[in-house]
Amino acid sequence: MKRLVLARLLQAGLVVLVVGILCFVLVRALPGDPAMRIAAGRYGPDANITQAAEQVRRELGLDQPLAIQLGTSLTQLVRLDLGHSVVTGLPITKELRIQLGATLWLSGSALVLSLLLGPPIGVLAGLKRGGWVDNASLGGAIILRSLPPFVLGLILILIFAMLLGLFPPAGYGTWRDMALPALTLALGLAAVSSRVARDAVAAVVRTPYFAFARLKGLPEPVVVRRHVLRNAAIPVVSYLALQAIYLIEGVVVVETLFGFPGIGHALVHAVIARDVPMVQGTALAMGLLFAIIAMAVDLACHWLDPRPKRA
Amino acid sequence: MNAPVRFQSLTVSGLQIRAGDTTIVRDVAFTLSQGRPVTLLGASGSGKSLVAHAIMGSLPSGLSARGVIKLDDTDLLASRPEQTRARWGRTIAILPQEPWLALDPTMRIEGQVGEVHRYLHGLGSAEANKSMRDDLTEVGLGDRTQAYPHELSGGMCQRAAIAVTHAAGASLLIADEPTKGLDAALRDGVVERLREEVDQGRLLLTITHDIDVAAALGGMIGVMLDGALVEFGPAAEVLANPRHDYARALIGANPARWPIPAVPPAGGPIVTATGLSKRFGGKTLFDGFDIAVGRGEIVAIVGPSGCGKTTIGNILLGLVKADRGEVHRTTGIAPTRFQKLYQDPPAAFAPHQTLRQSLGDLLKLHGLAWAQAHASMQRFGLGQELLDRRPSEVSGGELQRFAILRTLLLDPVFLFADEATSRLDPVSQQEVFKILVEAVRERGLGLLMVTHEAALSERVASRILKLPD
Amino acid sequence: MSIADATLVPTAKRAWLTPARALGLGLLGLLVLFALLGPLLVTVDPNDQDFAASLASPGADYWLGADHYGRSMLARLSHGARLSFGMALLTVATAAVPGILLGLLAAWSGGWLERILELVSTVLLALPGLLLVLILLAFAPGTFGPLYLGLALTLWIEFYRVTRVTAAGVLKQPHVEAARLLGFGTGYVLRSLVLPEIRPILITLAAFAMSTAIIAISTLSAISVGLRPPTPELGAMIVELLPYYAEAPLHVLMPGILIFLLVLGLQLATRSNLR
Repeated sequence: MKRLVLARLLQAGLVVLVVGILCFVLVRALPGDPAMRIAAGRYGPDANITQAAEQVRRELGLDQPLAIQLGTSLTQLVRLDLGHSVVTGLPITKELRIQLGATLWLSGSALVLSLLLGPPIGVLAGLKRGGWVDNASLGGAIILRSLPPFVLGLILILIFAMLLGLFPPAGYGTWRDMALPALTLALGLAAVSSRVARDAVAAVVRTPYFAFARLKGLPEPVVVRRHVLRNAAIPVVSYLALQAIYLIEGVVVVETLFGFPGIGHALVHAVIARDVPMVQGTALAMGLLFAIIAMAVDLACHWLDPRPKRA
Repeated sequence: MNAPVRFQSLTVSGLQIRAGDTTIVRDVAFTLSQGRPVTLLGASGSGKSLVAHAIMGSLPSGLSARGVIKLDDTDLLASRPEQTRARWGRTIAILPQEPWLALDPTMRIEGQVGEVHRYLHGLGSAEANKSMRDDLTEVGLGDRTQAYPHELSGGMCQRAAIAVTHAAGASLLIADEPTKGLDAALRDGVVERLREEVDQGRLLLTITHDIDVAAALGGMIGVMLDGALVEFGPAAEVLANPRHDYARALIGANPARWPIPAVPPAGGPIVTATGLSKRFGGKTLFDGFDIAVGRGEIVAIVGPSGCGKTTIGNILLGLVKADRGEVHRTTGIAPTRFQKLYQDPPAAFAPHQTLRQSLGDLLKLHGLAWAQAHASMQRFGLGQELLDRRPSEVSGGELQRFAILRTLLLDPVFLFADEATSRLDPVSQQEVFKILVEAVRERGLGLLMVTHEAALSERVASRILKLPD
Repeated sequence: MSIADATLVPTAKRAWLTPARALGLGLLGLLVLFALLGPLLVTVDPNDQDFAASLASPGADYWLGADHYGRSMLARLSHGARLSFGMALLTVATAAVPGILLGLLAAWSGGWLERILELVSTVLLALPGLLLVLILLAFAPGTFGPLYLGLALTLWIEFYRVTRVTAAGVLKQPHVEAARLLGFGTGYVLRSLVLPEIRPILITLAAFAMSTAIIAISTLSAISVGLRPPTPELGAMIVELLPYYAEAPLHVLMPGILIFLLVLGLQLATRSNLR
């Protein structure tokens, strides 16, 4: 248990390291004077940029060895001193706080929605392999997995916003604005989790302990409730760690497509505008979010499965 | 707890099991009654487990049973599915093979026994708890109710499974390979437990390939071959005087009945090791162990599982390094003349290659002719048609003979047989050892065998080394 | 209960060419033809503008219609398919070759080499792949270089890990030990024992990586950080046409349908057991 948490903390550390190093290189690789860019990112728009740039040059010792410069910049990251956006001039932490709320809402509702859709269908399919639920959900999953999230989102917009006029195609504020982006993400997630659940249930059904639970005389619903669901939940939950990647990547795409003011949207715009402090801040937030989800998944698996873990 | 309804007898007659149009089990008829358990003996693939599942009404989909199976006056095969299901646990219970796999790995055993009282007998949680405690205490697990299956030994899991059948109240007990995967000592414990079940008035049908288990249980013995019951009679009679050829071969194949071999005198040493020590997983397997294998002798290492027997053989072959100690091989012998036979024959062949491919590659590598391989195949009773099959399509006994053939092609001086017959039925085991003993006599190779079966080593080996636990 | 007599029950052998696989292979074949021959047969330049034909519906002049600048959709789609295939193939090859070789090497030699490679892959996996690609794209938005580098950098890990784990599993098998005792050398073990066992899973993985690359390239172009108009890239075409979705919804969907068919074909053709 301790080891699980430590491993994910290590991952979080690596996220900081990778993002920090890449952005450190980025800020020096872009055309123009890095000191000017750093100064703008650090002190915001109010500062006297030329003077600040001089100060940065002296302070960071841009003529000093790169390793020392990198050390300084990573220390700042660890202290969550993220600087200012070069574009808006606002402190990154302030921007992130608002965006993080929106992103958490979106990814949370997408996850919940996908769990309401995927695993129940998967369990039904797994209990009756080859039945119509199994075949239909297989077909649906193949189709959904062949659709990139932005194409899926586009189709949903065309159907629900244009054709039926049920939901707005873009915006933020009410649950109706949330519906289409969340559904886009949830369908992609459910396409996978339904099949994982189906295979997990099918695997449990083949085990000797499932056969024994039936042969000892338990009624079928009791067998399913007490012996199938918990055991089948283990792979489904542990797969969520992989799905977190899809979720994070999907958030970037879907937020951009639906004009949803979250971190993913901000990251894409920061990349286009080459707003390095913002790229760093948003990438860091999403990477850490990924590590936190993965840690939660690990802990849930630990609780579900009492068997000792293989190293 | 509900008092179980006692039944007097189970009668099977004219039982047939079909898969589509193919009859895979036919002409099975026997009767078992109180105090007279029946044991079905046979190799894997003989159809004995299918008979058990036909009685239980739990044949895999696609298989169907015909004939009559009567429990007192009820014809089980004539029942509707829901009637069959209602009998599970309450009337007929199956003791699963390898019970450590048949218990839910994520549930404490108290839950797995208690749920029978709750959901079969409809007891409240307090009463169910008390009954569960009684059941587990009766099998000696009263202090382990909180344990998960992985925290219990194989024998304990077996007893937990018995507690489940007690909780359900079944009076016909079907034990499906109850000793599979258990050591000799644990095996005796399970047999004793099953005898107690008979003494308590339960009907018992046991499926096994182990003749010792059948002998210890007494009652009636049936022998199955290729889906048919070829012999049936009182245990003592069948064991002493089998009528059918296969039954005679099967019973004669019990190592305890093998003829005592004339022990050939050992020649000069081939491989010698002194002062071997090995630790594994924080446990000392052996320390200061000496072993020598000479020409034309059979040395057996005997000991319980996990004691490091296999490791010694692997050290002699140079596959594993000892922590301390030295290994000496007689100089001037090619390394390929030191060979090994494996416990699980299919695992010792590349799964995607036909036997013709793998044998052909070997012949080509060493510049040997097919004629030599064909001659050995004929001698070992291996048909030409087997060559175009993959390892998974050949029986374990045949595959192990192929493995021997493969090593003999390289004219070995030393052969390490690592539990080489523990997964084979007695008849195949006897065939394999017949070939091995012949090879030792004719070629003067030194054979090191590792086994947990004392009887086998006593019959075959010229010297026995015992490893402590 | 595992039924020990299972060997008695006749089993039907599963055909390699299932209907799903046949459909997938057929679909892929058609798309490859479209990508290879399309640009040769449709001689219209995909960037030729004809404002008279702006948003023309599919018809005799423009088989699949024309976009808002009156460019031939057929020409643009076939160039787009070629671009998607080409970039995805290049990316996957760049990821697969080192990934597989390093995986084999790590499984074979173990030790410090394996530990270093494990560390590198752990570091790269700490961040979801798309984030890595996005940060790299900040160096030069709208170009293929960072896109290609970022994708290959993320994708090789999967090849490496799967190869290492499967190969290590095969190498641990008794039959490999037996082969070495019988005198077979390293070359034989890798070529004849390990490779046939890991090939099927690597083919599936390669198809999966192709899908990932196709989707990622079009997605990043669709959110304006990948390739940019007027390049006939499928994702970029969608963003370009997006403002006209009310007038010409079919035009907006066409590149999307093409991506869908590409990925669907890859999925159907290579998944040995569709799940």
